[in-house]
Amino acid sequence: MVDAIIKVDGLWFAYKEDEYVLQNIDIQFDDKPTAIVGQNGAGKTTFVKVLKGLLKPSKGDVWIAGTNTKETTVAQLSKTIGLVFQNPSDQMFKSKVIDEVMFGPLNIWKDKKDKNFAYEQSVKALKIVELDNRLEEHPYDLTLSERKLLCLASIIAMDPKIIILDEPTIAQDRFSTRKLAEIIKELIKDGKVVLTITHDMDFVAENFERTVIFYQGQVLDDGPTGKVLSNEENVVTAHLELPNLVKLAKALDFKTTPLTIDDFIEGFSMYKKAEG
Amino acid sequence: MRVLSLYVENDTFIHKLEPIAKLLYALISIVITFLFPSITVGAVFVAFSLLLAISAKVFKRMLLLLNVVLIVLLSMVIIQGLFYRQNVTPAFKLWGLTFYKEGLLYSLLLIVRVVNMIISFGVLILTTRPSDLVDNLVQKGLSPRFGYVLASVLQIIPQMLSTTSTITDAQRSRGLETEGNLFQRFSAFFALLGPLVLNSLVEARERAMAIEIRGFGVEGKRTFVRQILETKTDRWIKISLYVAFIVAVVWRIILWAM
Amino acid sequence: MGNVSTKVSIEHLTYKYPFAENVSLEDITLSIDAGQSIGIIGRNGAGKSTLCYVLSGLIPRFFHGKITGKVTIDGEDVPTMPIERLIRKVGLVLQNPFSQISGAKMTVYEEVAFGLENLGIEKDEMHERIDTVLRQFDLYKKKDENPFELSGGQLQRLAIASVLVLKPEILILDEPTSQLDPRGTTEVFETISQLKTLGITILIVEHKFEKLVEYVDKIALLHEGKLLGYDTAEHIFSTSEIETYGVGQPIYTALCKRMGLKKANGYYPVSFGETAALMNGLKESGMDRRTYDG
Repeated sequence: MVDAIIKVDGLWFAYKEDEYVLQNIDIQFDDKPTAIVGQNGAGKTTFVKVLKGLLKPSKGDVWIAGTNTKETTVAQLSKTIGLVFQNPSDQMFKSKVIDEVMFGPLNIWKDKKDKNFAYEQSVKALKIVELDNRLEEHPYDLTLSERKLLCLASIIAMDPKIIILDEPTIAQDRFSTRKLAEIIKELIKDGKVVLTITHDMDFVAENFERTVIFYQGQVLDDGPTGKVLSNEENVVTAHLELPNLVKLAKALDFKTTPLTIDDFIEGFSMYKKAEG
Repeated sequence: MRVLSLYVENDTFIHKLEPIAKLLYALISIVITFLFPSITVGAVFVAFSLLLAISAKVFKRMLLLLNVVLIVLLSMVIIQGLFYRQNVTPAFKLWGLTFYKEGLLYSLLLIVRVVNMIISFGVLILTTRPSDLVDNLVQKGLSPRFGYVLASVLQIIPQMLSTTSTITDAQRSRGLETEGNLFQRFSAFFALLGPLVLNSLVEARERAMAIEIRGFGVEGKRTFVRQILETKTDRWIKISLYVAFIVAVVWRIILWAM
Repeated sequence: MGNVSTKVSIEHLTYKYPFAENVSLEDITLSIDAGQSIGIIGRNGAGKSTLCYVLSGLIPRFFHGKITGKVTIDGEDVPTMPIERLIRKVGLVLQNPFSQISGAKMTVYEEVAFGLENLGIEKDEMHERIDTVLRQFDLYKKKDENPFELSGGQLQRLAIASVLVLKPEILILDEPTSQLDPRGTTEVFETISQLKTLGITILIVEHKFEKLVEYVDKIALLHEGKLLGYDTAEHIFSTSEIETYGVGQPIYTALCKRMGLKKANGYYPVSFGETAALMNGLKESGMDRRTYDG
């Protein structure tokens, strides 16, 4: 078995005393792309902030690549784990795209005083999100989808092993969502560990091998996406929805849980045979 | 805390007074205590304001408010007791330092003034829904736009604080050190302030659009879902306050003239 | 169809934001009948929000810039109509529920009252209207809570209630569910279907096509400021060009296109119900697999 790059042991977390938003979470993540789903207020964002070290566990421990988050700083962790925030306007403040992306790299490699290195890293990251031809533009002149990609690039540029995205599909059109899916695939190919919080269940089905359902601060279900989504009861309990194709398959009494159109077509032919 | 308000919900006589009457009491009592350099006058108002606080059942809260300025008040005693310009009569010695009577009395005067200011405003703030005070002022002729600004600031500042903490997290995630030497902190300040300002501008614009299409810019008669009524009691309180104010001013002028 | 009245009429509408290089809307012509619901789709930046702003009067009152062509509601010119009249005709709900509540009111009840106060509605009528919308949108239990304490879905419902309490005949929703979780999204769509039964004319900008097609009579497809299509969902999504605009399509339509499954009328299904029915029918009619092996 591959060693877990993220290990969470008996994690409890409370903002206010004794009001635990996360309760007794034991979970490990290896390099499988994973979706974290759950309704608003289920504790997803708090959870990834704990992984990132922005919040320290009230009880329990979190190890990122063998380092306990309690024994290091957020800045130190930036080299291993990156978190892309939901709302681009919560981080953008530079007047050029390239400067915005270089902000992170310049922060974490400041000992080297190597501006060129930071620049190269940033251009490389912008290339991945296809914004490398817009280095000199003002970030606020980009569309919302492009700004979200810019924020993703500003994390990729720090070259962390783990990249967590918080609601990357919110307010995105279909084209941008598809583009994002391609970028995620590329990151995975580059050996990154990608975790995503999202409400878009079709996006989950198509792009993530593993799904974790959060409900009221606990992990309600966790496993291969097909398996997790075949258990409708949990999905309903968590106030989520089945992906559209899965819903259709259920209505047609499929034996399988199709995650993609290809899956569905395959499942349909099997079902036809069974019927026939 | 989602709203910037210290309002304590209750159903006392003081709670039911018209907000403007309470505001007027705070303003006039403060003016009078400042008009007369008299500890007695100050003490009378402090006692009366305290009485109001007690009858409004907010005494404990009031102590908490006073607690906040306790250190300032103590330092006043020390500074004035030691260094007041007209210090001549030694009162006592402590750790080899001489405290003077004149300075101590002066600090006492300052204290009663400040304490009255806090208690009289405290009564207003602790017993009045902020939006009722604003509605009341708008109903009495304050510009609705200015009223909107006052009311929304109370709600939007806490929102901005929570945005600030998100921004801080977002920038720390990009390796920003929010602690460290002065230069680091200074550059961190920009990384936090920049998004906050831009964010607030964008949000303010959206909010301006949203209230525009709900008729905020429409000229003409407005109505109020919470009509703040002026009772007979309120009217008498206000009249007495005006009278007290005029008497105080006239008296003060006579004192000067003599 | 003869006695159905035209509610909204747009003729050759072109609009350019101040300081913008290009026009945001170019030569748009369409008309909407009273009581119809229209979905507006297109990529980010296609001009969907701009169209909403024109119809709700924010353009040219809030955003200036150059507007040409004709926009009328019930025959009255929108850009020049007095705002207090326009507000009673058109309501607009924006994407972000947080930034569209006034922020000046401490309870849900008073928030709903905000618009009524501005318009000077009498107190008795005000209470009656507020009670009605709060019950209608299942917010009555929350009436004394601070708006900022509500969940996203509740907040968006509050935003809709706060606009509907002004009794507009047309409601425009600009991506009302984009910030919401599945539960909040469902809540908002349920609200919309309720509004349809009240006979309100609805325009809704939405990327969640699978949901959208369940609620709208027609779809307007915008691309780079131009109206490329204005027709029923099956017409719009059955074309092969839809993919080239990068707009996307309901996943059911994509699936049926791949499987070569058309409805009897020659169009591809767009909704869950249609697709399920078609596939079930296929099973019952015992058709062979050629149809979808294609």
